[in-house]
Amino acid sequence: MDHRFDLAIVGAGLSAISALRAGVAHGKRVVVFDYQEVPGGFLRSALPAPGFEDAWEMLHSWRVPPEIAAYFSATVVGLLPASAPGEAHTLLVRTRAGTEQVYARHVLIACGGLEATREHAQIPGTRPGGVFTPILVHQFLARGYLPGTRAIVYGDSRYATATARRLADAGVEVTQITPATSEGGYSEGQAELVEVLGFPRVEGVRLRREGQVFDLAADTLIYAAGMIANTHWLRGSGIVTTGNGAIQVNARCQTNIDGIFAVGTVVAPSLDHASSIAMGQRVAALLNGGSL
Amino acid sequence: MAKNNRHIDVLVIGGGIVGTAILHELSHYDVSVVLVERNPDLCDGTSKSNSAIVHTGFDAPPDSLEARMLASARELWPTIIENLRIPYLQTGALLIATSAEEQTIIDTQIAPRSRRNGVELQPLTRAEILESAPYVNPRIHGGVLVEGEGIIDPFWATRAYAENAVHNGAEVVLGEAVTGIAVESERVLVRTSGGTNFAAAMVVNAAGLWADEVARLAGDSSFRLTPRKGQFIIVEEDHGVSQIILPVPSRVSKGILVTPIVFGGVLLGPTAEEVESKSDLATTGEGLRRIREGVGKLVPVMAQASSVRQFAGLRAVSSTGDYIIRPSTVGSRLLHVAGIRSTGISASPAIGRYVGELVRDELGLSRRSRVVETLPEYLADAAANEGDVVCLCRSITRAEILAALRSPLPPTTLDGLKRRTGAMLGDCQGNLCMPRLIDMFQRQLGRDPDTLEKHAAHSAPVAGYTTYLASAGSPATSQEEH
Repeated sequence: MDHRFDLAIVGAGLSAISALRAGVAHGKRVVVFDYQEVPGGFLRSALPAPGFEDAWEMLHSWRVPPEIAAYFSATVVGLLPASAPGEAHTLLVRTRAGTEQVYARHVLIACGGLEATREHAQIPGTRPGGVFTPILVHQFLARGYLPGTRAIVYGDSRYATATARRLADAGVEVTQITPATSEGGYSEGQAELVEVLGFPRVEGVRLRREGQVFDLAADTLIYAAGMIANTHWLRGSGIVTTGNGAIQVNARCQTNIDGIFAVGTVVAPSLDHASSIAMGQRVAALLNGGSL
Repeated sequence: MAKNNRHIDVLVIGGGIVGTAILHELSHYDVSVVLVERNPDLCDGTSKSNSAIVHTGFDAPPDSLEARMLASARELWPTIIENLRIPYLQTGALLIATSAEEQTIIDTQIAPRSRRNGVELQPLTRAEILESAPYVNPRIHGGVLVEGEGIIDPFWATRAYAENAVHNGAEVVLGEAVTGIAVESERVLVRTSGGTNFAAAMVVNAAGLWADEVARLAGDSSFRLTPRKGQFIIVEEDHGVSQIILPVPSRVSKGILVTPIVFGGVLLGPTAEEVESKSDLATTGEGLRRIREGVGKLVPVMAQASSVRQFAGLRAVSSTGDYIIRPSTVGSRLLHVAGIRSTGISASPAIGRYVGELVRDELGLSRRSRVVETLPEYLADAAANEGDVVCLCRSITRAEILAALRSPLPPTTLDGLKRRTGAMLGDCQGNLCMPRLIDMFQRQLGRDPDTLEKHAAHSAPVAGYTTYLASAGSPATSQEEH
């Protein structure tokens, strides 16, 4: 592995690929690292799916351009910002061969998000087998594993709906529940998840709708209600995050540290995938327009 | 089931911290010793779901067996921690008085009790506390420092006790429950759900919350254990918390505390709820609210801090109010070690030592001439070596997972792997890496995915198979593990 670059990109998901397609690497020595074995981010395992035509169009044909150094199964586990202006930042990268240090004058953090869990939302109840988030479902189906036979998908995003549809296509009996918001009335299929039931496997969930509590039987709960920024590896780095753990950036995608940029879900966990694509394009223009 | 008759010297029933500590001690004697555990893995009851604190015993009832064991354990821990390489940190504990009334309780009740237990308390003013622990609520009155209190990884300790015992010739049988016991004058016959008939010169009942039911299998109803539920909240971000923060205890429990976790993060809890069922491990909205309310009085930032996980554990409350370590009423060859309340981890080295002596005296044993005292540190060795990251949230590598799967007592469940390595404990709660871990279980140990349980029987995440999408080619890991 070469160890010195003009730009290091952390993550090879939608926003990073969007930035690369928009020419962010132009005229620079660029390296990309990703935890997964293939580019495309976590969303890729759910594609193709209705509502994600733009993402699929971008991802399915994309190959790493030959002028870019790309390492997969290579996880950035730490970031040490430069000690003086103009010096390189240090990335700690874990690969099969061990931990290596890589130096880059500019860093683009595009490592996305993790799916929020039932535990993150502090939903009480038992802790049985059968409570998952969509990323597990998509990886299971790709291996030929069924996560259950009767599933409740809790979430109303495009991604939650795509997950529910895939499960149904695989022969799982699926009910999709739309999380109720505190304001406004309830519509069909809308309810608030208040408790997980059953042990050792899920036996159902307790829901609340218009003040009424009722139970719905299922052997699987797919909790698909949001993302959290993937910033745990930045602890101690000095990069400023907001209250919800996302990286704080200005309108030019800059973090509080000179030369370190961030785009995509890692700066806004509620971001739509289309906004991630747009943000990647914007940072490419900003980085190419600057003195980098 | 195949009939399997086995003649051994000592059988230990129960693979929690107490049973494995006893197994560890007995394996240093010249005896054949076997431990049976009904769950698929060790440390699956009270030992896994608790505050993970090694208490000094400063507030134990003076002159109780519990106080004696805790005092003796203080002497034994340093050697055990070093030999078994147990993750441990002597953080010290701040016992906080939130009011003048609580300060009076400390001065007039807790301090004298602590002196009788041989533990020195260091009085601190409000200003001194806030200087060393600025995260503590500024509205407190004062408190004391208990310097000797520390934090530990309970699962590591349990596994390490058992693994060292295995290195010294002991045997661990998992997934077999005791279904019948007959106590005779010179031996005890024990039948298990796996079809094994043990004839042991002595049997130690260390079945935790179920020890009273094990006793009843032998016709001994001399004590009763009831479950007390404790709910906990785990916070990943430590917000600067570096010491155990204790409230002034009530008559029922030590109260809701804040403690750093030895492998990172902070633990909040527990509640103390009398429950009906010994398998009621559900968290409740009410319980979690009460924890937040309780910790807010001590460390305000923890009232709101984002949580990665919540869980509940059950501890055994004994009908006698103290540890029950004595022969059964139906015969001296069955020894009960029960009612260990919430201090089992803290007292475990001393309980092991004490029970070892009781068994030695009953059977006339001598120590082995050669004993393996230490445990190879395979997890840290693996971490230093090669392997890409498998668990993204906690940066756990392939080498660490492989080391656990190849260890002398390998995990049999996904939760067992989680407790051995820390994988699946982070923000995503294993949703990202669990499929890879299932792949590795399959490749290393030949486990069919649909037989791999999360924890108990019938909890397997893989519920069945489908050809949908599988033909599209798996993006799963294909790399060879050497």
